[in-house]
Amino acid sequence: MNWLRVFFHGGLTSYRALFAWINPWVFLPMLVAYPVFQTVFYVYLGRAADVADDAFFVIGNSFVAAAVTGLFGMGQAIAGERRFQTLPVLLASPASRLALFLGRAVPTIVNGFVVAVITFVLGAAMVGVNIDRNAYGGLALALATSCFACAALGLCVGSLTFRTRSITVFADTIGALMLLITGANVPIGRLPDTLQNIADYVPLTHGIHAARLLAAGASVADALPQIRDELLVGVAYFTAGLLLLRHFERDGRRAGSFERF
Amino acid sequence: MIRAFLTGIRVHLVQLVRSPFDLVAMLIWPIIYASIAYYLIGTGSNTRVLFTASLGAAMMMLWSQVIVGSGFALDMQRNQGTLELLVAAPVPLVAVIAPIMIASAAFGIYGLLVTLAWGRFAFGIPVAIDHPVAFAMAAAAAILAVGLLGLIAASLFVLTRAAAYVGVALQYPVYLASGLIIPLAILPAWLGPISWVLAPTWGYRGLTHAASGTGAWREIGMCLLLSVIYLVVALPCLAWFERLARERATLRLS
Repeated sequence: MNWLRVFFHGGLTSYRALFAWINPWVFLPMLVAYPVFQTVFYVYLGRAADVADDAFFVIGNSFVAAAVTGLFGMGQAIAGERRFQTLPVLLASPASRLALFLGRAVPTIVNGFVVAVITFVLGAAMVGVNIDRNAYGGLALALATSCFACAALGLCVGSLTFRTRSITVFADTIGALMLLITGANVPIGRLPDTLQNIADYVPLTHGIHAARLLAAGASVADALPQIRDELLVGVAYFTAGLLLLRHFERDGRRAGSFERF
Repeated sequence: MIRAFLTGIRVHLVQLVRSPFDLVAMLIWPIIYASIAYYLIGTGSNTRVLFTASLGAAMMMLWSQVIVGSGFALDMQRNQGTLELLVAAPVPLVAVIAPIMIASAAFGIYGLLVTLAWGRFAFGIPVAIDHPVAFAMAAAAAILAVGLLGLIAASLFVLTRAAAYVGVALQYPVYLASGLIIPLAILPAWLGPISWVLAPTWGYRGLTHAASGTGAWREIGMCLLLSVIYLVVALPCLAWFERLARERATLRLS
Protein backbone atom coordinates (compact mmCIF):
# COMPACT_ATOMS: atom_id res chain seq x y z
CA MET A 1 0.00 0.00 0.00
CA ASN A 2 2.79 2.39 0.96
CA TRP A 3 4.58 1.40 -2.27
CA LEU A 4 1.55 2.53 -4.27
CA ARG A 5 1.24 5.76 -2.24
CA VAL A 6 4.89 6.61 -2.95
CA PHE A 7 4.39 5.65 -6.58
CA PHE A 8 1.28 7.76 -7.22
CA HIS A 9 1.69 10.73 -4.86
CA GLY A 10 5.44 11.05 -5.43
CA GLY A 11 5.02 10.85 -9.19
CA LEU A 12 2.13 13.31 -9.31
CA THR A 13 3.83 15.85 -7.04
CA SER A 14 7.05 15.61 -8.99
CA TYR A 15 5.18 16.10 -12.28
CA ARG A 16 3.40 19.19 -10.96
CA ALA A 17 6.74 20.64 -9.91
CA LEU A 18 8.33 19.88 -13.26
CA PHE A 19 9.20 22.97 -15.29
CA ALA A 20 7.66 25.01 -12.43
CA TRP A 21 4.47 25.24 -14.48
CA ILE A 22 2.71 28.36 -13.39
CA ASN A 23 0.66 28.82 -16.50
CA PRO A 24 0.24 27.29 -19.98
CA TRP A 25 2.57 29.92 -21.44
CA VAL A 26 5.45 27.67 -20.46
CA PHE A 27 3.87 24.46 -21.79
CA LEU A 28 2.55 25.78 -25.12
CA PRO A 29 5.76 27.22 -26.60
CA MET A 30 8.04 24.45 -25.34
CA LEU A 31 5.94 21.36 -25.91
CA VAL A 32 3.49 22.34 -28.63
CA ALA A 33 4.86 25.11 -30.85
CA TYR A 34 8.52 24.01 -30.84
CA PRO A 35 7.97 20.36 -31.90
CA VAL A 36 5.26 21.26 -34.41
CA PHE A 37 7.45 23.82 -36.19
CA GLN A 38 10.40 21.44 -36.00
CA THR A 39 8.24 18.88 -37.83
CA VAL A 40 7.24 21.37 -40.51
CA PHE A 41 10.88 22.44 -40.98
CA TYR A 42 12.09 18.90 -41.59
CA VAL A 43 9.14 18.13 -43.86
CA TYR A 44 10.21 21.01 -46.10
CA LEU A 45 13.87 20.02 -45.85
CA GLY A 46 12.83 16.52 -46.90
CA ARG A 47 10.86 17.95 -49.82
CA ALA A 48 13.87 20.03 -50.89
CA ALA A 49 16.17 17.02 -50.73
CA ASP A 50 13.52 14.69 -52.20
CA VAL A 51 14.56 11.87 -49.90
CA ALA A 52 11.34 10.66 -48.30
CA ASP A 53 7.65 11.51 -48.13
CA ASP A 54 6.12 13.92 -45.65
CA ALA A 55 4.78 11.13 -43.40
CA PHE A 56 8.38 9.99 -42.83
CA PHE A 57 9.25 13.31 -41.17
CA VAL A 58 5.93 13.80 -39.37
CA ILE A 59 6.28 10.42 -37.68
CA GLY A 60 9.99 10.86 -36.94
CA ASN A 61 9.62 14.28 -35.36
CA SER A 62 6.51 13.34 -33.37
CA PHE A 63 8.59 10.60 -31.75
CA VAL A 64 11.47 13.04 -31.17
CA ALA A 65 9.01 15.32 -29.34
CA ALA A 66 8.27 12.45 -26.97
CA ALA A 67 12.00 11.79 -26.56
CA VAL A 68 12.81 15.36 -25.57
CA THR A 69 9.96 15.33 -23.07
CA GLY A 70 11.19 12.05 -21.60
CA LEU A 71 14.83 13.04 -21.43
CA PHE A 72 14.32 16.47 -19.90
CA GLY A 73 11.25 15.54 -17.85
CA MET A 74 12.73 12.46 -16.23
CA GLY A 75 16.15 14.03 -15.92
CA GLN A 76 14.80 17.15 -14.25
CA ALA A 77 12.46 15.15 -12.01
CA ILE A 78 15.62 13.93 -10.26
CA ALA A 79 17.89 16.93 -10.84
CA GLY A 80 15.16 19.24 -9.53
CA GLU A 81 15.24 17.43 -6.17
CA ARG A 82 18.90 18.32 -5.86
CA ARG A 83 18.44 21.87 -7.04
CA PHE A 84 15.74 22.53 -4.46
CA GLN A 85 17.71 20.60 -1.83
CA THR A 86 15.08 17.93 -1.24
CA LEU A 87 17.27 15.10 -2.52
CA PRO A 88 18.83 14.22 0.89
CA VAL A 89 15.34 14.07 2.46
CA LEU A 90 14.12 11.87 -0.38
CA LEU A 91 17.08 9.51 -0.14
CA ALA A 92 16.98 9.36 3.64
CA SER A 93 13.48 7.88 3.44
CA PRO A 94 13.11 4.11 3.51
CA ALA A 95 10.80 4.22 0.46
CA SER A 96 11.37 1.75 -2.34
CA ARG A 97 13.60 3.31 -4.95
CA LEU A 98 11.67 1.50 -7.66
CA ALA A 99 8.41 3.08 -6.46
CA LEU A 100 10.08 6.49 -6.18
CA PHE A 101 11.55 6.60 -9.64
CA LEU A 102 8.94 4.55 -11.49
CA GLY A 103 6.34 6.90 -10.01
CA ARG A 104 8.27 9.82 -11.49
CA ALA A 105 8.62 8.06 -14.83
CA VAL A 106 4.92 7.38 -15.43
CA PRO A 107 3.75 11.04 -15.66
CA THR A 108 6.72 11.74 -17.92
CA ILE A 109 5.72 8.87 -20.19
CA VAL A 110 2.11 10.08 -20.32
CA ASN A 111 3.29 13.63 -20.95
CA GLY A 112 5.58 12.48 -23.77
CA PHE A 113 2.74 10.51 -25.32
CA VAL A 114 0.38 13.49 -25.23
CA VAL A 115 3.03 15.86 -26.64
CA ALA A 116 3.83 13.42 -29.46
CA VAL A 117 0.15 13.01 -30.33
CA ILE A 118 -0.34 16.80 -30.42
CA THR A 119 2.76 17.15 -32.61
CA PHE A 120 1.56 14.40 -34.93
CA VAL A 121 -1.97 15.75 -35.29
CA LEU A 122 -0.96 19.40 -35.79
CA GLY A 123 2.09 18.56 -37.91
CA ALA A 124 0.11 16.23 -40.16
CA ALA A 125 -2.67 18.79 -40.52
CA MET A 126 -0.23 21.57 -41.44
CA VAL A 127 1.56 19.62 -44.17
CA GLY A 128 -1.40 17.51 -45.32
CA VAL A 129 -0.39 14.02 -44.23
CA ASN A 130 -3.11 11.39 -43.93
CA ILE A 131 -2.59 8.04 -42.27
CA ASP A 132 -5.12 5.20 -42.31
CA ARG A 133 -7.14 5.19 -39.07
CA ASN A 134 -6.67 1.42 -38.79
CA ALA A 135 -3.02 2.10 -38.03
CA TYR A 136 -3.74 4.34 -35.03
CA GLY A 137 -3.86 1.52 -32.45
CA GLY A 138 -0.50 0.12 -33.54
CA LEU A 139 1.00 3.62 -33.72
CA ALA A 140 -0.14 4.28 -30.15
CA LEU A 141 1.51 1.05 -29.00
CA ALA A 142 4.79 1.92 -30.73
CA LEU A 143 4.68 5.46 -29.35
CA ALA A 144 3.96 4.32 -25.78
CA THR A 145 6.91 1.93 -25.97
CA SER A 146 9.19 4.68 -27.23
CA CYS A 147 7.98 7.04 -24.50
CA PHE A 148 8.95 4.43 -21.91
CA ALA A 149 12.36 3.88 -23.52
CA CYS A 150 13.05 7.63 -23.59
CA ALA A 151 11.97 8.09 -19.97
CA ALA A 152 14.33 5.22 -19.11
CA LEU A 153 17.18 7.01 -20.86
CA GLY A 154 16.10 10.14 -18.96
CA LEU A 155 16.49 8.16 -15.73
CA CYS A 156 20.12 7.45 -16.66
CA VAL A 157 20.65 11.13 -17.45
CA GLY A 158 18.93 12.15 -14.20
CA SER A 159 21.22 9.88 -12.19
CA LEU A 160 24.14 12.06 -13.30
CA THR A 161 22.74 14.80 -11.10
CA PHE A 162 24.79 13.23 -8.29
CA ARG A 163 27.98 14.04 -10.20
CA THR A 164 27.27 17.28 -12.01
CA ARG A 165 25.62 20.63 -11.35
CA SER A 166 23.39 20.50 -14.38
CA ILE A 167 22.12 17.55 -16.36
CA THR A 168 20.75 19.88 -19.04
CA VAL A 169 24.01 19.64 -21.00
CA PHE A 170 23.64 15.86 -21.26
CA ALA A 171 19.91 15.91 -22.00
CA ASP A 172 20.35 18.57 -24.67
CA THR A 173 23.27 16.77 -26.31
CA ILE A 174 21.52 13.41 -26.35
CA GLY A 175 18.32 15.03 -27.63
CA ALA A 176 20.29 16.63 -30.47
CA LEU A 177 22.01 13.37 -31.37
CA MET A 178 18.66 11.57 -31.45
CA LEU A 179 17.49 13.89 -34.23
CA LEU A 180 20.24 12.44 -36.39
CA ILE A 181 21.00 8.86 -35.44
CA THR A 182 17.56 7.40 -34.69
CA GLY A 183 16.38 7.79 -38.25
CA ALA A 184 13.90 10.48 -37.25
CA ASN A 185 15.07 12.80 -40.01
CA VAL A 186 17.60 10.82 -42.01
CA PRO A 187 16.87 7.34 -43.37
CA ILE A 188 19.08 4.97 -41.36
CA GLY A 189 20.54 3.55 -44.59
CA ARG A 190 22.08 6.95 -45.40
CA LEU A 191 24.06 7.07 -42.17
CA PRO A 192 27.59 5.66 -41.85
CA ASP A 193 27.86 2.06 -40.60
CA THR A 194 29.10 3.13 -37.17
CA LEU A 195 26.05 5.33 -36.56
CA GLN A 196 23.75 2.60 -37.89
CA ASN A 197 25.19 0.17 -35.35
CA ILE A 198 24.83 2.67 -32.50
CA ALA A 199 21.25 3.45 -33.55
CA ASP A 200 20.16 -0.11 -32.74
CA TYR A 201 20.84 0.55 -29.05
CA VAL A 202 19.26 3.98 -28.83
CA PRO A 203 15.62 4.59 -27.82
CA LEU A 204 13.33 5.69 -30.67
CA THR A 205 15.10 3.87 -33.51
CA HIS A 206 12.95 0.75 -33.38
CA GLY A 207 9.82 2.63 -32.33
CA ILE A 208 10.06 4.98 -35.29
CA HIS A 209 10.74 2.05 -37.61
CA ALA A 210 7.66 0.25 -36.27
CA ALA A 211 5.51 3.37 -36.66
CA ARG A 212 6.60 3.84 -40.26
CA LEU A 213 5.82 0.19 -41.03
CA LEU A 214 2.35 0.62 -39.51
CA ALA A 215 1.73 3.88 -41.36
CA ALA A 216 2.68 2.14 -44.60
CA GLY A 217 -0.04 -0.45 -44.03
CA ALA A 218 1.74 -3.23 -42.15
CA SER A 219 -0.17 -5.11 -39.47
CA VAL A 220 0.64 -4.82 -35.77
CA ALA A 221 2.02 -8.37 -35.94
CA ASP A 222 4.48 -7.27 -38.63
CA ALA A 223 5.67 -4.37 -36.45
CA LEU A 224 5.84 -6.37 -33.21
CA PRO A 225 9.52 -7.37 -33.53
CA GLN A 226 10.48 -3.68 -33.75
CA ILE A 227 8.22 -2.77 -30.82
CA ARG A 228 9.73 -5.66 -28.83
CA ASP A 229 13.25 -4.39 -29.55
CA GLU A 230 12.26 -0.88 -28.47
CA LEU A 231 10.85 -2.30 -25.24
CA LEU A 232 14.06 -4.25 -24.61
CA VAL A 233 16.13 -1.11 -25.15
CA GLY A 234 13.87 0.71 -22.68
CA VAL A 235 14.11 -2.04 -20.06
CA ALA A 236 17.91 -2.07 -20.43
CA TYR A 237 18.15 1.70 -19.90
CA PHE A 238 15.68 1.63 -17.00
CA THR A 239 17.71 -1.09 -15.28
CA ALA A 240 20.93 0.81 -15.96
CA GLY A 241 19.34 3.99 -14.59
CA LEU A 242 18.29 2.30 -11.33
CA LEU A 243 21.75 0.73 -10.93
CA LEU A 244 23.43 4.08 -11.57
CA LEU A 245 21.15 5.78 -9.04
CA ARG A 246 21.92 3.10 -6.45
CA HIS A 247 25.66 3.39 -7.09
CA PHE A 248 25.68 7.20 -6.95
CA GLU A 249 23.43 7.21 -3.88
CA ARG A 250 25.85 4.95 -1.98
CA ASP A 251 28.76 7.03 -3.17
CA GLY A 252 26.99 10.25 -2.18
CA ARG A 253 26.24 8.91 1.32
CA ARG A 254 29.87 7.93 1.78
CA ALA A 255 31.22 11.26 0.49
CA GLY A 256 28.47 13.39 2.05
CA SER A 257 28.03 15.07 -1.32
CA PHE A 258 24.23 15.15 -1.76
CA GLU A 259 24.07 18.89 -1.21
CA ARG A 260 27.38 19.83 -2.76
CA PHE A 261 27.16 22.05 -5.83
CA MET B 1 26.62 54.70 -21.86
CA ILE B 2 29.29 53.49 -24.30
CA ARG B 3 31.28 52.09 -21.37
CA ALA B 4 28.18 50.27 -20.08
CA PHE B 5 27.53 48.92 -23.57
CA LEU B 6 31.08 47.64 -24.14
CA THR B 7 31.39 46.26 -20.61
CA GLY B 8 28.06 44.49 -21.08
CA ILE B 9 29.31 42.77 -24.23
CA ARG B 10 32.57 41.75 -22.54
CA VAL B 11 30.84 40.43 -19.39
CA HIS B 12 28.25 38.45 -21.35
CA LEU B 13 30.90 36.94 -23.63
CA VAL B 14 32.95 35.91 -20.59
CA GLN B 15 29.83 34.30 -19.10
CA LEU B 16 29.16 32.44 -22.35
CA VAL B 17 32.68 31.00 -22.60
CA ARG B 18 32.42 29.90 -18.94
CA SER B 19 29.06 28.18 -19.50
CA PRO B 20 29.38 24.44 -20.22
CA PHE B 21 25.83 24.40 -21.58
CA ASP B 22 26.41 27.17 -24.13
CA LEU B 23 29.81 25.83 -25.15
CA VAL B 24 28.53 22.29 -25.68
CA ALA B 25 25.26 23.35 -27.32
CA MET B 26 27.12 25.61 -29.75
CA LEU B 27 29.41 22.68 -30.55
CA ILE B 28 26.75 19.98 -30.97
CA TRP B 29 23.75 21.67 -32.58
CA PRO B 30 25.46 23.11 -35.69
CA ILE B 31 27.07 19.72 -36.25
CA ILE B 32 23.67 18.01 -36.00
CA TYR B 33 21.91 20.53 -38.25
CA ALA B 34 24.70 20.41 -40.82
CA SER B 35 24.97 16.61 -40.74
CA ILE B 36 21.23 16.14 -41.25
CA ALA B 37 21.42 18.50 -44.22
CA TYR B 38 24.50 16.73 -45.65
CA TYR B 39 22.94 13.26 -45.35
CA LEU B 40 19.61 14.40 -46.79
CA ILE B 41 21.15 16.34 -49.68
CA GLY B 42 23.66 13.52 -50.22
CA THR B 43 27.26 13.59 -49.09
CA GLY B 44 28.40 13.09 -52.66
CA SER B 45 26.62 16.21 -53.92
CA ASN B 46 28.24 19.37 -55.21
CA THR B 47 30.54 20.70 -52.47
CA ARG B 48 29.32 24.26 -53.06
CA VAL B 49 25.76 23.13 -52.21
CA LEU B 50 26.99 21.38 -49.07
CA PHE B 51 29.04 24.43 -48.08
CA THR B 52 25.92 26.58 -48.44
CA ALA B 53 24.10 24.15 -46.14
CA SER B 54 26.94 24.62 -43.60
CA LEU B 55 26.36 28.36 -43.65
CA GLY B 56 22.64 27.79 -43.19
CA ALA B 57 23.31 25.60 -40.15
CA ALA B 58 25.64 28.26 -38.71
CA MET B 59 23.01 30.97 -39.18
CA MET B 60 20.43 28.73 -37.50
CA MET B 61 22.65 28.53 -34.44
CA LEU B 62 23.30 32.25 -34.47
CA TRP B 63 19.58 32.95 -34.33
CA SER B 64 18.99 30.26 -31.68
CA GLN B 65 21.72 31.66 -29.47
CA VAL B 66 20.15 35.11 -29.64
CA ILE B 67 16.53 34.15 -29.17
CA VAL B 68 16.99 31.30 -26.68
CA GLY B 69 20.38 31.98 -25.12
CA SER B 70 19.72 35.61 -24.35
CA GLY B 71 16.18 34.86 -23.16
CA PHE B 72 17.52 32.47 -20.58
CA ALA B 73 20.40 34.85 -19.80
CA LEU B 74 17.84 37.43 -18.75
CA ASP B 75 15.88 34.75 -16.90
CA MET B 76 19.08 33.92 -15.01
CA GLN B 77 19.39 37.58 -14.03
CA ARG B 78 15.81 37.38 -12.78
CA ASN B 79 16.56 34.22 -10.75
CA GLN B 80 19.69 35.75 -9.26
CA GLY B 81 17.87 38.96 -8.36
CA THR B 82 20.05 41.18 -10.55
CA LEU B 83 17.42 42.06 -13.18
CA GLU B 84 15.89 44.69 -10.92
CA LEU B 85 19.32 46.28 -10.42
CA LEU B 86 19.90 46.36 -14.18
CA VAL B 87 16.53 48.00 -14.78
CA ALA B 88 17.05 50.45 -11.93
CA ALA B 89 20.53 51.48 -13.16
CA PRO B 90 20.74 55.10 -14.40
CA VAL B 91 21.90 54.07 -17.90
CA PRO B 92 19.11 53.43 -20.41
CA LEU B 93 17.87 49.84 -20.35
CA VAL B 94 18.80 49.40 -24.01
CA ALA B 95 22.49 49.91 -23.09
CA VAL B 96 22.18 46.99 -20.68
CA ILE B 97 20.07 44.60 -22.76
CA ALA B 98 21.49 45.19 -26.26
CA PRO B 99 25.00 43.96 -25.27
CA ILE B 100 23.51 40.64 -24.15
CA MET B 101 21.84 40.22 -27.55
CA ILE B 102 24.86 41.28 -29.58
CA ALA B 103 27.27 39.20 -27.50
CA SER B 104 24.99 36.18 -27.98
CA ALA B 105 24.99 36.77 -31.73
CA ALA B 106 28.77 37.22 -31.74
CA PHE B 107 29.09 33.90 -29.92
CA GLY B 108 27.47 32.46 -33.05
CA ILE B 109 30.83 32.93 -34.77
CA TYR B 110 32.03 29.98 -32.71
CA GLY B 111 29.13 28.00 -34.23
CA LEU B 112 30.14 29.15 -37.72
CA LEU B 113 33.73 27.98 -37.17
CA VAL B 114 32.54 24.65 -35.72
CA THR B 115 30.25 24.06 -38.70
CA LEU B 116 32.93 24.89 -41.27
CA ALA B 117 35.51 22.73 -39.46
CA TRP B 118 33.04 19.83 -39.20
CA GLY B 119 32.19 20.04 -42.88
CA ARG B 120 35.87 20.23 -43.82
CA PHE B 121 37.23 17.43 -41.64
CA ALA B 122 34.27 15.03 -41.38
CA PHE B 123 32.81 15.41 -44.88
CA GLY B 124 35.69 16.85 -46.90
CA ILE B 125 33.77 20.00 -47.84
CA PRO B 126 36.32 22.67 -48.78
CA VAL B 127 36.01 26.04 -47.08
CA ALA B 128 35.64 27.99 -50.31
CA ILE B 129 35.28 31.71 -49.63
CA ASP B 130 35.89 33.76 -52.77
CA HIS B 131 35.63 37.19 -51.08
CA PRO B 132 37.00 36.87 -47.52
CA VAL B 133 36.65 40.59 -46.75
CA ALA B 134 33.01 40.68 -47.85
CA PHE B 135 32.44 37.42 -45.93
CA ALA B 136 33.83 38.94 -42.71
CA MET B 137 31.76 42.07 -43.20
CA ALA B 138 28.63 40.01 -43.93
CA ALA B 139 29.24 38.04 -40.71
CA ALA B 140 29.64 41.26 -38.69
CA ALA B 141 26.51 42.79 -40.25
CA ALA B 142 24.56 39.59 -39.56
CA ILE B 143 25.66 39.59 -35.92
CA LEU B 144 24.51 43.18 -35.48
CA ALA B 145 21.19 42.70 -37.27
CA VAL B 146 20.26 39.38 -35.64
CA GLY B 147 21.28 40.73 -32.24
CA LEU B 148 19.05 43.77 -32.67
CA LEU B 149 16.17 41.61 -33.91
CA GLY B 150 16.58 39.76 -30.61
CA LEU B 151 16.34 43.13 -28.85
CA ILE B 152 12.70 43.41 -29.89
CA ALA B 153 12.01 40.04 -28.27
CA ALA B 154 14.08 41.07 -25.25
CA SER B 155 11.56 43.71 -24.31
CA LEU B 156 9.10 40.87 -23.79
CA PHE B 157 11.72 38.92 -21.82
CA VAL B 158 11.86 41.80 -19.35
CA LEU B 159 8.11 41.64 -18.80
CA THR B 160 7.63 37.95 -18.02
CA ARG B 161 9.74 34.88 -17.36
CA ALA B 162 7.51 32.83 -19.69
CA ALA B 163 8.87 34.87 -22.61
CA ALA B 164 12.14 32.94 -22.51
CA TYR B 165 10.13 29.87 -23.47
CA VAL B 166 8.45 31.77 -26.29
CA GLY B 167 11.98 32.27 -27.60
CA VAL B 168 12.38 28.50 -27.80
CA ALA B 169 9.26 28.28 -29.94
CA LEU B 170 10.48 31.04 -32.26
CA GLN B 171 13.54 29.13 -33.46
CA TYR B 172 12.10 26.95 -36.23
CA PRO B 173 9.56 29.47 -37.58
CA VAL B 174 12.44 31.89 -38.27
CA TYR B 175 14.60 29.13 -39.79
CA LEU B 176 11.71 28.41 -42.13
CA ALA B 177 10.77 31.99 -42.94
CA SER B 178 14.41 32.93 -43.55
CA GLY B 179 14.99 30.08 -45.98
CA LEU B 180 17.92 28.72 -43.96
CA ILE B 181 19.05 25.48 -45.69
CA ILE B 182 15.59 25.18 -47.28
CA PRO B 183 15.13 27.22 -50.50
CA LEU B 184 12.41 29.83 -50.11
CA ALA B 185 11.11 28.77 -53.52
CA ILE B 186 9.58 25.57 -52.14
CA LEU B 187 7.99 27.31 -49.15
CA PRO B 188 4.52 28.91 -49.28
CA ALA B 189 4.62 32.16 -51.25
CA TRP B 190 3.23 34.23 -48.35
CA LEU B 191 6.45 33.60 -46.45
CA GLY B 192 8.36 35.66 -49.03
CA PRO B 193 7.48 39.14 -47.69
CA ILE B 194 8.06 37.93 -44.11
CA SER B 195 11.55 36.74 -45.06
CA TRP B 196 12.45 40.25 -46.28
CA VAL B 197 12.11 41.74 -42.79
CA LEU B 198 14.07 39.00 -41.03
CA ALA B 199 17.78 39.59 -40.46
CA PRO B 200 18.78 35.88 -40.73
CA THR B 201 17.52 35.93 -44.37
CA TRP B 202 19.95 38.69 -45.36
CA GLY B 203 22.73 37.49 -43.11
CA TYR B 204 22.58 34.03 -44.68
CA ARG B 205 22.39 35.44 -48.21
CA GLY B 206 25.28 37.80 -47.46
CA LEU B 207 27.47 34.93 -46.28
CA THR B 208 26.58 32.65 -49.21
CA HIS B 209 27.02 35.40 -51.82
CA ALA B 210 30.37 36.48 -50.34
CA ALA B 211 31.50 32.86 -50.28
CA SER B 212 30.52 32.30 -53.90
CA GLY B 213 31.92 35.67 -55.00
CA THR B 214 28.64 36.97 -56.41
CA GLY B 215 28.66 40.18 -54.37
CA ALA B 216 27.24 40.57 -50.90
CA TRP B 217 27.11 44.36 -50.53
CA ARG B 218 23.36 44.59 -51.11
CA GLU B 219 22.75 41.96 -48.38
CA ILE B 220 25.17 43.69 -46.01
CA GLY B 221 23.33 46.95 -46.66
CA MET B 222 20.00 45.27 -45.91
CA CYS B 223 21.41 43.94 -42.63
CA LEU B 224 22.47 47.44 -41.64
CA LEU B 225 19.14 48.95 -42.71
CA LEU B 226 17.21 46.31 -40.76
CA SER B 227 19.45 46.95 -37.73
CA VAL B 228 18.34 50.59 -37.71
CA ILE B 229 14.68 49.60 -38.14
CA TYR B 230 14.89 47.00 -35.36
CA LEU B 231 16.45 49.57 -33.03
CA VAL B 232 13.70 52.07 -33.81
CA VAL B 233 11.05 49.42 -33.08
CA ALA B 234 12.83 48.00 -30.02
CA LEU B 235 13.37 51.26 -28.15
CA PRO B 236 9.69 52.11 -27.53
CA CYS B 237 8.88 48.41 -26.97
CA LEU B 238 11.60 48.19 -24.35
CA ALA B 239 10.42 51.38 -22.64
CA TRP B 240 6.80 50.24 -22.68
CA PHE B 241 7.47 46.73 -21.34
CA GLU B 242 9.87 48.09 -18.72
CA ARG B 243 7.12 50.41 -17.51
CA LEU B 244 4.62 47.53 -17.47
CA ALA B 245 7.04 45.32 -15.54
CA ARG B 246 7.59 48.09 -12.99
CA GLU B 247 3.84 48.71 -12.64
CA ARG B 248 3.04 45.03 -12.22
CA ALA B 249 6.10 44.41 -10.07
CA THR B 250 6.96 41.30 -12.08
CA LEU B 251 10.72 41.88 -12.43
CA ARG B 252 11.51 39.67 -9.45
CA LEU B 253 8.91 36.99 -10.18
CA SER B 254 10.70 33.83 -11.20
